[in-house]
Amino acid sequence: MTHTTTARRTTLLYLLPWLLTLALFWLYPLLHSFYLSMTDYELLASESHFVGLANYIELFNDQDFLKALLNTAIFVVGTIPFTTVFALGLALLVNRRIPGAQIFRSGYFIPSITSLVVIALIFTNLYSRGGYLTMLCDLVGIPTPERGFLFSEGTALPAIMAMDVWIASGYYMLLFLAGLKSIPEEQYEAAALDGASAWSSFWTITLPQLRPMALYVILINTIKSFQVFVEIFVMTKGGPLNSTLTVVYFVYDRGLHKFLMGYASAAAYVLFVLIMIFALIQMRLFGVGRSTAE
Amino acid sequence: MKLRPKDVAVWFIMFVILIGMLLPLWWMLLGTFSEQFVSGSLLKNLSDYKFTLDNIISVLNVKNFDRSIVNSLIVGVTVTAGNMIFCLMIGYAFARFRFRMKKALFLSVVEVLMIPVHIIIIPLFLLISKLGWYDSYAALIIPFLVNPLGVLLLTQYIRELPPDLEEAARIDGAGEFRILFSVVAPMCKPVLAVLAVQIFMTNWNSFLLPFILTSSDSMRTLPVMLALLQGYQQIDWPQIFAASTISALPVVIVFLIFQRHIVSGITAGALKT
Repeated sequence: MTHTTTARRTTLLYLLPWLLTLALFWLYPLLHSFYLSMTDYELLASESHFVGLANYIELFNDQDFLKALLNTAIFVVGTIPFTTVFALGLALLVNRRIPGAQIFRSGYFIPSITSLVVIALIFTNLYSRGGYLTMLCDLVGIPTPERGFLFSEGTALPAIMAMDVWIASGYYMLLFLAGLKSIPEEQYEAAALDGASAWSSFWTITLPQLRPMALYVILINTIKSFQVFVEIFVMTKGGPLNSTLTVVYFVYDRGLHKFLMGYASAAAYVLFVLIMIFALIQMRLFGVGRSTAE
Repeated sequence: MKLRPKDVAVWFIMFVILIGMLLPLWWMLLGTFSEQFVSGSLLKNLSDYKFTLDNIISVLNVKNFDRSIVNSLIVGVTVTAGNMIFCLMIGYAFARFRFRMKKALFLSVVEVLMIPVHIIIIPLFLLISKLGWYDSYAALIIPFLVNPLGVLLLTQYIRELPPDLEEAARIDGAGEFRILFSVVAPMCKPVLAVLAVQIFMTNWNSFLLPFILTSSDSMRTLPVMLALLQGYQQIDWPQIFAASTISALPVVIVFLIFQRHIVSGITAGALKT
């Protein structure tokens, strides 16, 4: 009897850190923000009221929020295809038997381990008026915005997106590379014996076998990209004229800057639902997802 | 290995991409260590190049900047150590013990990995304030002590270990704690190393939560300090680059030394989820 009680106590003790983290820092915040989203809670106001769906209705009439949604959608749709293709391309290059492949792999990966704040600052310099990229464009004859890339409505968001593709490609390259390494060599050998060209084995062996990894890459990248924030905070603060305002920046600004916490929580929940919908659609599309639960 | 012309062409392409990947960071180093830095001209920077440490020294003299480095170290080391201990405990429980709701609880680990952290910043801020941790080390450390990815890594690793040694120790009358920390932990060294490097680097670079959970200059971590540096005064690029170098260089060095651990940590997460 005492034996099983000790065993139970040990189990509970070992699991306690997870139970506490799960309850306190994940479940409670998720539920609390859902509740907050239906109140008019403001940090500095003395009382708050239940307002039902009023925040949500207001959000969809809020030009700033709609702009933030649109910008976030542009960011997601405009970066992920490029990042995925570049990452796959880099992985294929690095996977070749070529002298120095290791060094190339490490080099490509370095941007993704560097602090995002640091990279955002460097690119702020490169993109600025009189910055190096502007100078280069002038040299080649490409027209550049007068106030620098980040201070012009038309170029600020694309400039940040380009930077993001540059950062992320190396990271997802590594994942694709792991996928490539897990394809058995014999399959290629057999295909070669059958007279298949390198090109056709790429389509018939490599790509189909990379599908699960491609799903994972796109899924993770979608969840990440929907939450783009640091770049915006460091480089543009959502400007100029809201042209780089994203949903998480909107949540931060309304909730933790202007302290409209109920309203900002509703915005956060809209984003949460959107991310979940996208994740589910992607899992369906690729027809895996069951394998996640083992 | 024979080099074919095609290989040379591929090698050349890869080399050009490598330069493109590293150029911005090299630009940062150039700005940090040159006496006269001009934002818009590569040639001028190279022809007039003179090495200097003045920018590094001047940024270290910015009020509380050194403090932010110390803060990042304290927080990073504590969070890393905490994760190594807790993920080992939790992973061991999932891998070896039988208990009710085990499946559901393990699934919660996987599920939490998918939750977008940025959407809970407001309730997290309120919770931390209510607990009285706002603007303290507790806020920077406690919420991050158990990383779900670490739990996953440890569980999967321990599952693959043969249970013989543990059982032998149990027969010898060793207590559960002794078994975990002096029998299982040494066998988990490789995966613990992966976890440690991963957690430390993530923590060293993390911005949003440390930013919203602190307010005084003396509680800022390095990335937060860095991001706010440009707001305080006219943009002084050499100073900002120097601060960036201080923030980025340790990570790059750690990466180059522990490359294999980092790579396997990232891909293990991907291959197993």
